[in-house]
Amino acid sequence: MSTYVPTPEWIVLDWHHACIAAELLCIQRCVGCGRWRHPPRRFCPACQSDQATFEPVTGGGSVLSFAVSHRSLDPGWQAHAPYATLLVELDEGPRLLAATTTPPGEIRIGQRLAVRTEALSEHFVLVWADPASHDEPASMAPRARGNA
Amino acid sequence: MGTDLWGTTAIVGVGETDYVRGSDRHVCDLILDAAMEAITDAGLKPADINGIIPPPGYMSAEEIAAHLGVPDVAYHVSVLMGGASPTASLQTAAMAIAGGLADNVLVCMGWNGYSALRPKPDARPTKRVMNLGPMGETVRNHYAPYGLMSAAQHYSLYLRRYVDTFGIPEDAAAAVAIACRNHAQLNSKALMRGTPLSRADYDAAPFIAEPLRKFDCCVETDCATAVVVTSLGRARDLVHPAVVYLGGAEGHPEPADEIANRANLLELGIHRAAPRAFARAGVSPHDIDVLEIYDCFTYVVLLQLEALGYAEPGGAPAFVADGNIELGGRFPLNTHGGLLSQGHCWGLNHVVEATRQLRGTADAQVTDAELALVTGYGDLGDGSVAILGRDR
Ligand SMILES: [Zn+2]
Repeated sequence: MSTYVPTPEWIVLDWHHACIAAELLCIQRCVGCGRWRHPPRRFCPACQSDQATFEPVTGGGSVLSFAVSHRSLDPGWQAHAPYATLLVELDEGPRLLAATTTPPGEIRIGQRLAVRTEALSEHFVLVWADPASHDEPASMAPRARGNA
Repeated sequence: MGTDLWGTTAIVGVGETDYVRGSDRHVCDLILDAAMEAITDAGLKPADINGIIPPPGYMSAEEIAAHLGVPDVAYHVSVLMGGASPTASLQTAAMAIAGGLADNVLVCMGWNGYSALRPKPDARPTKRVMNLGPMGETVRNHYAPYGLMSAAQHYSLYLRRYVDTFGIPEDAAAAVAIACRNHAQLNSKALMRGTPLSRADYDAAPFIAEPLRKFDCCVETDCATAVVVTSLGRARDLVHPAVVYLGGAEGHPEPADEIANRANLLELGIHRAAPRAFARAGVSPHDIDVLEIYDCFTYVVLLQLEALGYAEPGGAPAFVADGNIELGGRFPLNTHGGLLSQGHCWGLNHVVEATRQLRGTADAQVTDAELALVTGYGDLGDGSVAILGRDR
């Protein structure tokens, strides 16, 4: 979808490498107090520990909000306009953006989702999310392993 | 600090280039033209300036000083809050003056907002860019790969939530777009002067990023603006009536560097800045005569009006209806046309317009305007507020 694939650095790169190694969506988790957090941060905002791991999540979540773009500066995305981008609240608590194969008109706030990841490079995974029962159009379906 | 700071400084000079789509002038020339105009408007000389707050990008304070002929810069600082920067800069300018670090502070903004992406064939090229500050990393790593590159797309993540939470109707923001366009018809520098906007035009326009249609989005322009801030004591000896900086504030959402993990997606920087600013200025929302609200997008105006206390959450669509924000209404809003219809100068054009309103010299003058409120909004929801008043 995206023509643009970033080359992350620092703890964002560590997160991508963890997802790629596990072939699952992983999220940063505090060793000190067990809280999940995203995007990756140096210190836990609750207990200030700087000890954290990246652990696989269940892959369940729901739509907290979403964007519907009718124009995109990225030619890869423009070809699919209008397209939705989901703001997903994972069951573990943290939230992140996800691409979706679901048409914008079929998305509702609160809808249950299953997330999965697709490695676009050795250093970057894209997160996908769709309603668990949704049939993916073949042309847009990433080859990726899901958590759920 | 409060009693020594608020109400002790004033805006004494304003400068403003034309707002155009495709300038023949280099971005540095735009910035320097507006800066020199502001200094001259104040009845000062470059040598009188000893504090500089440059734009977020494009030119440094050192360069600006050298080109203007400012011999002794005693204080400079850069403010990186995107479109909230210029209005937030006023509090920094006032602090420098009240603290004795500088006497006369120049605040500048200017950019090639239109030409950066669409240079004219004969335009003078530039490698100068804006400083994206904290936003760059988040957009690069977490938003752009998901097809969200533009501000309209980023903000639509919380605007969707706003619309869904309060059942905001699809035409809720039309009154903001049309009021700004109507006011632009009266402003001699407005890009959209001579191009009225009807309700039918608004409704027929395509979506950019839902709920934002074409006319909910501001006009990208090449332009520059500048203001000079000094002590109220010195201001009373200068050419124009002093426009007093009564109070101001900045605020940031938590976390400020990304949208998704905020406890409340609808709590922005201005929700924190607004109560601070009103308390510092010692006025309440209903004392204000003119509203110059940062209008990168119409729906962002609605959210800010609620944060400022002009309406309950979800109530801004009713507040902007029935001519309330038009010239002649109770709360005239963006009397210069705003970013939506005058041009996008990161809200320093709002400060320029508020100053003219309080001098009584605005093109679309609000009768007996004594108090004006300006907001800034930028990056991923940072906010700033300035409350200005006529000297009494
Ligand atoms: Zn912890």
